[in-house]
Amino acid sequence: MRVILGLTLRRSLRRTLLLGVALGTFLFLVGLSYASVDQNQIRSLVESLPPAIRAFVQGADLASPAGYLGSGFIHPITLALLATTAIAAGAASARDVEHGVAELLLSRPLRRTAWIGAELIAMEISLAIVTVLGSIGAFIAVGTIDDLGTVPFGSVALTALTMFLLFSGIGTITALAASFSRTGARAISMGAGTALIFYAIDYLAQIWSLAEPFGPISLMHWYRPSNVLGTGSIPTSSWLVLIGVAVVASGVALLVTSRREVAP
Amino acid sequence: MPTLSGVISTAAIHAQGLGKSYRSDVMALEDIDLEIAHGERIGFLGPNGAGKTTIIRLALGILSPTTGSVAINGHDLATDRMVALTDAGYVPGDLGLIRGVSGRRMLDALARLHPRPPVLRDHLLSALDLNEHTLGKRIRDYSTGMRQKLGLVAALQHDPAVIILDEPTSGLDPVMQARLLEVLEERARAGRTVFFSSHVLGEVDELCDRVAMVRDGRLLLVRDVAELRRARVRTVEVLFDGDVDPATYRVDGIADLRVDGHVHHFTLAGDPGLLLTRLGALSPRDVTINAARLEDVFRALYLGDAD
Repeated sequence: MRVILGLTLRRSLRRTLLLGVALGTFLFLVGLSYASVDQNQIRSLVESLPPAIRAFVQGADLASPAGYLGSGFIHPITLALLATTAIAAGAASARDVEHGVAELLLSRPLRRTAWIGAELIAMEISLAIVTVLGSIGAFIAVGTIDDLGTVPFGSVALTALTMFLLFSGIGTITALAASFSRTGARAISMGAGTALIFYAIDYLAQIWSLAEPFGPISLMHWYRPSNVLGTGSIPTSSWLVLIGVAVVASGVALLVTSRREVAP
Repeated sequence: MPTLSGVISTAAIHAQGLGKSYRSDVMALEDIDLEIAHGERIGFLGPNGAGKTTIIRLALGILSPTTGSVAINGHDLATDRMVALTDAGYVPGDLGLIRGVSGRRMLDALARLHPRPPVLRDHLLSALDLNEHTLGKRIRDYSTGMRQKLGLVAALQHDPAVIILDEPTSGLDPVMQARLLEVLEERARAGRTVFFSSHVLGEVDELCDRVAMVRDGRLLLVRDVAELRRARVRTVEVLFDGDVDPATYRVDGIADLRVDGHVHHFTLAGDPGLLLTRLGALSPRDVTINAARLEDVFRALYLGDAD
C-alpha cells in the first residue's frame, strides 16, 4: 500500500501544493481586507440585502471578525479550490482504470483493497495539505491584523478541520462514484454534480421554507464556519454526519472496487 | 475443441472452459481450453477484437471469467490470485504508466510490488538501451518506444517464471524489436514460459514453439509452429541439365506442375523428404524450395475456417 500511496501522492504533489498556496493566499487576503471594513457600514449593508443574497454567507454577521473571516471559508473560491482537490483525488481510481494504470498495478501481486485504500488515503493527505496551507493564511491574518485579534487560533483550527471533513465527504463520494465509473471524466462530473447539488439544497433550505426540511440532506448544512469561528466548537451532529459520510462512502468504494473489473 | 496434447498437471498456464460475457447475450470469449507447459514459447495470434487481450486479462485476474477458470503455475486466479501473480510478469497492450513520475521511480515502485528482487533490471536496461539519463526523466517526456521499453523492463526485471506480453513490440523500432526477441529467447532458454500476443506473424514464427489462433472469442487451434509449416504447401523449382520426365520424381502432394525448358515448377503439400530422395537420384543442377511462412499458414487457416 505504501508504494501506491507514494506514487499517488507524488504525481499530484505539484497540484496539491499549488492549490494549498492559492487557498492560503486567498484566506489571508480575506482577513487583510477586514482591516478596511467599517463595521457599522457593512452591518447596515448586509441587513439591507434580501435573504436570497444573505444566504450566500449562511446568514453570518459579516461585521464581526468571526463572521467576516468565516465568509472566507464559504467563499466560492475556497469551495472551488478544495472541491478541485477532493474531486480530482477522489476520481483517481476511475482515471487509473481508464488509462490502464490499474491494469498495470493489479497485474502485480497487489490487493485491490490496498490499491483503492492507498488512493483514498492519498486523497485525505492531499486535502489535509491544502487545508493546512489554507489555514496558515488564515492564521497569519488573525495573528497580524489587529481587528481580527478576537478570533482565537483554536477556532480557526476547528473551522479548518470542519472544512477538511466536508471535502473529505465530497472526495469519498467522488471515490464511490469512481468505483462504478470506467472513465475519470464521468467520476469527476458525478463528484462535481453532487457538490453542486449539496450547495443548491443548502442554499434553497435557507431561503425557502418548503425546502428547509431537506437542508440536512446536504453536507453543506453541516458546515457553518462562521458559527465554529464564533463559538469555538463544532456541533456533535456535524462531526457525526461529516465523518460518517466519509467512512461509509469509503467503505462502499472499497467494497465495490475490490469486485469490479479494472481493464480499460 | 483445440487443446494441447501431453497435458501437464502443473502447467504454467491452464485455462479450462474459460468464457467471458459483458452482457448476458454477448459472449466475448467462449469455452477456451488452453494448457501451456513450463518453458514453452507460445504466440497468440488473431485479428483485433478476436479476444486475445481478454484471455490475457482473464489469465491475470484483471477480468473475472463468466465461466471456467484459469491458473498460473497451479494457482487459480479466482482463489489464489496473489500467489499466482508472484510468478507472472506482464506488459499490457495499453501500457498505463504513471506519467507524472520518473522512469526510475516507476520501475522502483513496480519492483517493490513483487516479493522477488529485480535481479534482471541492469541487464534489461542495457539490452534495451535505457540509460540513467532517460530513467531520470518524467515518463510524460518519453516517446512511445521508450515507454514500451520501460514497461518491458518493469515486467521482466524480477525474472518471472511466466512472461505474458500483449503486443510487446508495438512502438519499438526494428532494432529494439530484434533485441526484445533476443531477450525473450534468452529467458525461454533459462526455462521461463513466454506467452505473447502479436499481430506480427514473423516474430511469432521466429520465437515460438507453438501458436494459438483465436477468432471471434474462440480458439481455432493450438499447434506446433514446425508442424504447421510442414503441413503447408511449398513452392518448388527444380533445374535439370536436360529433359526429365516429371513422372520419374512424382510423389503425393505435387500439384500445379509446369515444365519450362529444363526448369520444373510445382507446389508440394506435406513432407518434402521423399521428393528430395527422388530428385537426388536425378542429379538436378539446382533445387529451390520456398519454405511455408507462418503468415501463409495463418491466412489459409483463417480464411479457410471463415469460409
